Amino acid sequence: MSLIALSALTKHYPRGVVALDGLTLELEPGIIGLVGANGAGKSTLIKILLGLLEPTAGDASVMGLDVRTQGTTIRQFVGYMPEYDCLPPDTSATDFVTHMARMSGLPSSSARERTAEVLRHVGLYEERYRAIGGYSTGMKQRVKLAQALVHDPRLLLLDEPTNGLDPAGRDEMLGLVRRTGTEFGIAVVVASHLLGEIERVCDFLVAIDAGRLLRAAPLGSFTERTGVLAIEVEEGAEALTAALTARGLQAVADGRTVLTAVADDRPYDIVRDAVAELGLPLVRLEQRRQSLEDLFRDDVPAAPAGAGTSAGAGTSGAATPGGGAPA
Amino acid sequence: MSDAPIRSATTAPTTASGPGGSIYDLGYQSYQGPRLGRRSAVVALYTQSLRACFGIGRGGRAKIAPFVLAGLAVLPAVLAVGFAALAAQAGGAGDLGDASPIRYESYHGLVGVLIMLFCAAQAPELFGRDQRYGVLPLYFSRVLTRTDYALAKVGGLMTALLIVELTPYVVLFLGRVLVAPDPATGISDEIANVPRFVLQGLLVAGLFGGLAGLIAAWTPRRAYATAAIIAVLIIPPIIVGIVGQLSSQDLARIFVLLSPADILDGTNAAIFGSIPDNPVVASINLSGWVYVAAAAVGIAATVGLTVRRFVRIST
Repeated sequence: MSLIALSALTKHYPRGVVALDGLTLELEPGIIGLVGANGAGKSTLIKILLGLLEPTAGDASVMGLDVRTQGTTIRQFVGYMPEYDCLPPDTSATDFVTHMARMSGLPSSSARERTAEVLRHVGLYEERYRAIGGYSTGMKQRVKLAQALVHDPRLLLLDEPTNGLDPAGRDEMLGLVRRTGTEFGIAVVVASHLLGEIERVCDFLVAIDAGRLLRAAPLGSFTERTGVLAIEVEEGAEALTAALTARGLQAVADGRTVLTAVADDRPYDIVRDAVAELGLPLVRLEQRRQSLEDLFRDDVPAAPAGAGTSAGAGTSGAATPGGGAPA
Repeated sequence: MSDAPIRSATTAPTTASGPGGSIYDLGYQSYQGPRLGRRSAVVALYTQSLRACFGIGRGGRAKIAPFVLAGLAVLPAVLAVGFAALAAQAGGAGDLGDASPIRYESYHGLVGVLIMLFCAAQAPELFGRDQRYGVLPLYFSRVLTRTDYALAKVGGLMTALLIVELTPYVVLFLGRVLVAPDPATGISDEIANVPRFVLQGLLVAGLFGGLAGLIAAWTPRRAYATAAIIAVLIIPPIIVGIVGQLSSQDLARIFVLLSPADILDGTNAAIFGSIPDNPVVASINLSGWVYVAAAAVGIAATVGLTVRRFVRIST
C-alpha cells in the first residue's frame, strides 16, 4: 500500500485562488522532497494530508486512510512541523513537548520519557528547561521537530524545516531529518523551495508548480543534467565564450559571467585550459543551479543536446541564490 | 509499558535496531507504549486548562491574580464564620442567621464582581495564547478535533470559575453546620441550601465562563480581550439602570435579559427566594424561571459560538 495517494486533488481558496489543481500522485515510504516555489501549493498539500484543510475536490489518503473521514486516525500516526513560529515563548521546551505528547494521546509518564528522549535526539540538553522565548532560531526549529516526533509517528510532514537557519544550522537540521528518515524508519515528507537542500536528504522528489504536478521521480533522475557552471572573469567574457564554443561546449555570456552546462567532469578541464590559454583574470568558478521553474519545466528527455537549452535557461536563472564569497 | 501498543493495522511496526542488533544511538527509540487516543488528549487538555486558570505550571507571577481573586471571594465567608464562632464561644446565639449580612442569598452580590474579574484576567490567556503564538496547528494536527479543543478549554475555564464560586458557599455551609448547637440539626437546617448554591454556581460559572471564553476566543490580543470582557459584564447593568429609570417596563425586561450580570442577579433571587440586588431587576417582575432559561440559553449560545470560532479559524 502506498504511503500517500492523491487523486485529482484540488483545493480552491476564497477569491478564486487555486492552490492545488488536479494533483494525482502515489508515493511509497521513504524520504520524499516536495519542491516548488513559494505559493506552489506545498503547504496546502501538507495541511490537506493532516486534515487541517478540506479539499475542494478529489481524494487523498495517507497510509490507506481517507483524509476526509479518518483524519483522527491519520493524525495519531503523523507528526507535523509547521513552517511558521508555533511555540509559546513563556514555556520551557520540556513542558511544551510533554504537553504536545499528551495531546497525541500518550499517557503522562510516557509523555515525559518520550520528551526527554526526543529532545536529546534533536540536540537540546540543559537549555530545555529554560523558556523557549530565549532560544535561538536553530533551537526553536529543533523544538518544532521534537514536538513532531514525540509521539513516534509513522510519517513526518516537515514544512520548510530550515526556515531562518544559518548555513551551519541548515546542515544540522538536514542531518537530523536524514537520520530520522533512514535510521528510524519514519517516512518523511520535506517541503522546501530550495532544491539544493532537498536533494541532500531525499530519495524521491516531487515538484509542484501552481498546484500542478511537474514531476515525481527518484532523486537520481533529477540531478543528471542540473549542473550549470558559472565562470566569472574580470574581462574577456566574449573571448572565453568563443573559446569554449570552439572546444565543443555550449556557452553563453552574461555580462562578466560565462555559463556553461556540465554533464560530467570533462568541461572543468576545458574551462581551466581555456582560461589559462587566454590569460583571463578569473574571479569565480561556481557550480550553479538553475531556477526551479526552469529545471522542472524542461521535460525534454535527458540528452546531450539538452545541455544547450539548460545553459540558455541558466541566463534567466541568474537570480539563483549562489553568490557566495569571491573565490 | 507492557500494554499492547495500539497501532494502525495498516502500518508495519518499525524496528529501530541497527545491523546486528547493536544500539548505537540512544537519542531516538521507537515508542512501544500505549496510545490512549482522543479521549485521553481531551482530558489532558481540560486538566491543563483548569490548572492554567490558576497559574499552576506557569510560574509565580501567573498565580498572583487568580489566587488573590479567589482569596477575596472566600474572605467574607471566612469572616462570617469566624465571627459567628467567636460569638458562640462568648455565649451569644451561635446562629449566623438573619443577623449576618453574609448569607447564601446575598453572597452572589459579594462574589459576582470577583468572578467577572477572574474571567477578565484568565480567559484571555487561556484562549488567546495559542492563537497569538500560532500553536493551534500543532493541536489540530493531533488526535483531538477542533471541537474537542474548544470544549476542553471552555470546560477548564468554567470548572475554575465553579471552584472560585462554590468555595465560599461551602465554607459558609460548613461554618453554619459547625456553629450550630448540634451538628445533626445544623445539617438538616442547612442541607436544603446546597442544591440552591450549586445551581446558582453552575449558572454563574457557565454564563460568565461561556461569555468570557467567547470574547477571548475572538480577541487574541490579551489587553483588548480583558477590556472587552469587563465591558460586556459591567456596562449592560448600567444601561439597564438607565432604561429602567426612563422608559417602560417592557423595554427594561428586554434589556435585563440581554445583560448577563442582571440575568444572574435574577436567577439568584429566584433560586433563594430573595430580592434582587439591582432595583430594576426587582421592579420588573419577571418570573424567576425566565432568568434561569435566559442563563441556559446564554450558556448554550456562547459555548456553541466558541466552538464555531475554533472550527472555522484558519490555521
